[in-house]
Amino acid sequence: MSNLWFLYLFFAALLIFIGIYCLLTMRNLIKLFIAVEVISKGVSLAIVATGAVKNNILLAQSLAITYIVVEVSLVATALALIINIYKKNKSLDVRLLSKLKG
Amino acid sequence: MAIQIILLCGLVIFSGLAILFKDLLKAALSLAVASLFLGIIFFRLGAPYAGVFEISVVAGLITVLFILTIALTKRGDEVTEARLVKLAFPVFFILFLVIDGLVMKSLLQKIPALPSGPEAGSFGQVLWQQRTFDLVAQIGVILAGVLAVLALFRKKEEDKDE
Repeated sequence: MSNLWFLYLFFAALLIFIGIYCLLTMRNLIKLFIAVEVISKGVSLAIVATGAVKNNILLAQSLAITYIVVEVSLVATALALIINIYKKNKSLDVRLLSKLKG
Repeated sequence: MAIQIILLCGLVIFSGLAILFKDLLKAALSLAVASLFLGIIFFRLGAPYAGVFEISVVAGLITVLFILTIALTKRGDEVTEARLVKLAFPVFFILFLVIDGLVMKSLLQKIPALPSGPEAGSFGQVLWQQRTFDLVAQIGVILAGVLAVLALFRKKEEDKDE
């Protein structure tokens, strides 16, 4: 049981690492958002796998569904924001956002 | 077990490809394939509803939203990434792989988790009776997302008035 849990969390950590690496190094806004999606995949894998291993799959499943709904809402809002930023800057380069003044 | 490992490897490989592809369309499609793998893993873990949500919503709807955004921002591909980023990725990945393998097992023994024990009832009972507040919060989040999108695209009309 512990080995199975280790296996899933091992891969979940890898996904989170891939996402964080992309967030720290890349400049394209859509790429950064893809990285957020990859991290969220890692998190949902960890939630469901922990539920399955600890015999709490129904609770884990409901939490995963809640998480997916939040993720969709986040994606819709963020992509709308990205389109607006593109209209304003004519570029998806995240470095241009540092010129914003409040 | 072997199938699970293949599915997990597929998930990690396609997620890695999603960030390494220069073409955004290919990256979005890789992400969709990764979601498909995750959905199948959910099915195999005994979470069919989460699997269905993952495949239909994340692999389907979110991919459509990504492709739509990529189509609306055609020149987005022109953002130049630092060359070192892709070259250094395998090095950091293997480094993390080793650290993850060494540390995760001892870490798992220290992390408190839910107590093991069989659950009573069906998925519907757990979702609608035990997690009712989550459902209310989900409705709030969806409304917030809809209002945010409406607010973000309303700006153009205000500009016209000015």
